[in-house]
Amino acid sequence: MLSSIHTRARPSTAAALAAAVLLVALGLVIVGCGSDKRQVKLMYAGSLIVPFEQLAAEFERSHPDVDVLTESHGSIQVLRHVTELGDRFDLAVSADEQLIPPLMYDRVDHETGEPYASWYCTFATNRMVLAISPKSPLAGELDARTWYRRLTQPDVRFGLADPRFDAAGYRALMLLQLAEREYDDPYLFEDMMMGRFTTPVTVTRNAGGVDVIEVPEILETQSGGNLVLRGASIQLVALLESGDLDCAFEYESVARQHGLEYVRLPSSIDLGEAGRRADYRRVEVKLDFRRFASVKPVFRGDVIRYAFTIPANAPEPGLAGELAAFLLGDDGRRILEEDHQPVLTPPRLDNASAAPEEVRRACGGSR
Amino acid sequence: MRGRRPSLFWAACAVAGAILIAFVVLPAASMIVGAGAGLLGEALRQDDIRRSLWLTASAALIATAIAFVVGVPLAYLLARRDFVGKRAIEGIIDLPIVFPHTAAGIALLTVYGREGVIGRLLAPFGISFTETVAGIVLAMLFVSLPFLVDTARETFALVDERYEHVARTLGSSPGGAFLRVTFPQAWRGVLSGAVLMWGRGISEFGAVVILAYNPKVISVLTFERFEGFGLRAAQPPAVLIVIVAFVVFLVARTVLLPRRGRSRKDAA
Repeated sequence: MLSSIHTRARPSTAAALAAAVLLVALGLVIVGCGSDKRQVKLMYAGSLIVPFEQLAAEFERSHPDVDVLTESHGSIQVLRHVTELGDRFDLAVSADEQLIPPLMYDRVDHETGEPYASWYCTFATNRMVLAISPKSPLAGELDARTWYRRLTQPDVRFGLADPRFDAAGYRALMLLQLAEREYDDPYLFEDMMMGRFTTPVTVTRNAGGVDVIEVPEILETQSGGNLVLRGASIQLVALLESGDLDCAFEYESVARQHGLEYVRLPSSIDLGEAGRRADYRRVEVKLDFRRFASVKPVFRGDVIRYAFTIPANAPEPGLAGELAAFLLGDDGRRILEEDHQPVLTPPRLDNASAAPEEVRRACGGSR
Repeated sequence: MRGRRPSLFWAACAVAGAILIAFVVLPAASMIVGAGAGLLGEALRQDDIRRSLWLTASAALIATAIAFVVGVPLAYLLARRDFVGKRAIEGIIDLPIVFPHTAAGIALLTVYGREGVIGRLLAPFGISFTETVAGIVLAMLFVSLPFLVDTARETFALVDERYEHVARTLGSSPGGAFLRVTFPQAWRGVLSGAVLMWGRGISEFGAVVILAYNPKVISVLTFERFEGFGLRAAQPPAVLIVIVAFVVFLVARTVLLPRRGRSRKDAA
């Protein structure tokens, strides 16, 4: 038997083929190196992927000489990419406005000696829901009164975003703790979290004060614990669609964008009602970073507010301003609303005097 | 007899080789140096890194063992027999190499996930491939089996069939001929294919991360640390697995390296 290593082609044919392939490869490299479009780099929280990809496409259509490069991660990751990984983006969008001051105002860019950002613009809101997989037997079974008891049962696999990397993660933990008051079940949090992690997530209740949830630095799910953790909440959607999750804590906009059935939770816990701020502020999440950060991040429960900023080291601040104005203008608002992302009208600026002119104008003048 | 031109040729080969070696050594060395001995020692003391290293190495070993049991017979068949569709089969065996890793993970999820054809079949027995070690083994097996099968096939092909025929005329069964004549001559090549497969398995990320993000293999842990905690946190686990793999490869090569003239040619 002839071994397959003995080629049947004649040497000269093989050589010609190899030469042709090499030439094509070289050609592609040369062609790829030339691009005269201006680029604006957009880094945003994963839950915005549907509206923001549409936003990028429409911006490119109305600005044919511009390429919008997009990347998405969990909200904490989004900002850390700028401040710790040294990535340079024109627009950074977070699902939690309260992340920007500690992660960007208080961090100084070594190259410039300036903070990475000194203003932000709040433009959208959301609420947390319990999204259900279309393939799960739970579809139709869960409701706003009984979901939490069902979730503690061993046959239910639910998903959570990693609270260390994604705002949706710590928001889900806050939700669970707030649920104790709502459903008058003082053990709800523990019942839900018991046996799920190798190093447990704990809660310290301060009667009359703020309950503190502590997340260990190394957060690993226990095998067989029936809890699935993902770095960004949007990654749970694929698992819901494939049926590998029964349900997951998601933003309402995301559940609606993907046509997922969901349980609408009481507004005292879903972090979506402006009037309920006082309730939400009764819980906070502390990330117990020991080895890798000198600061232990603390997040206080609050209404969900999406915000963006143009980092001080943005490569194309002019284009960034145009994109921001596009987002805050009629087109952006239309796209967000079409995709079930509730818009904040008017958008609000933090430290408006530091914001560029176009953004201030789009927010309706100063303040 | 060597004239001037042949030595220029060899010099050119050496230069090209040196460039390639430098290309590989530079990033590896910069990572190892960047991590530093202190950081590495510290990393070994970290529970999650140790567990991940062990998980990664052992899952890849299990995958390799499975591929060995199922793949060696196939490799032998492909080396010895001609049949309709043989070229297609060989192409299919190589398919996992061209599959983008995340696509492979998704493909495996649709079959072995909770709602997949096989996933649903095995669920009543308590077997799950998502978020489990079984899923990790499955992903590693899928992406790296071509390395074992292809290498084994080439090795078997190099063993002279005549020896098997002789064994048969002396009364051996085909299986016996394989075990007592072919395999003893081919085992080094097959084992080197297994080592290659193991190495490919421990480095897999895309397919594993889709099926089983947890428990974390070293590539997923490194990625998570990089994303979550920055470069300094990501270097130790990455460097450790590179060192472990390098040591394994070195040992395997020195043990398995066929001495000239043995096991590859007909030594009458």
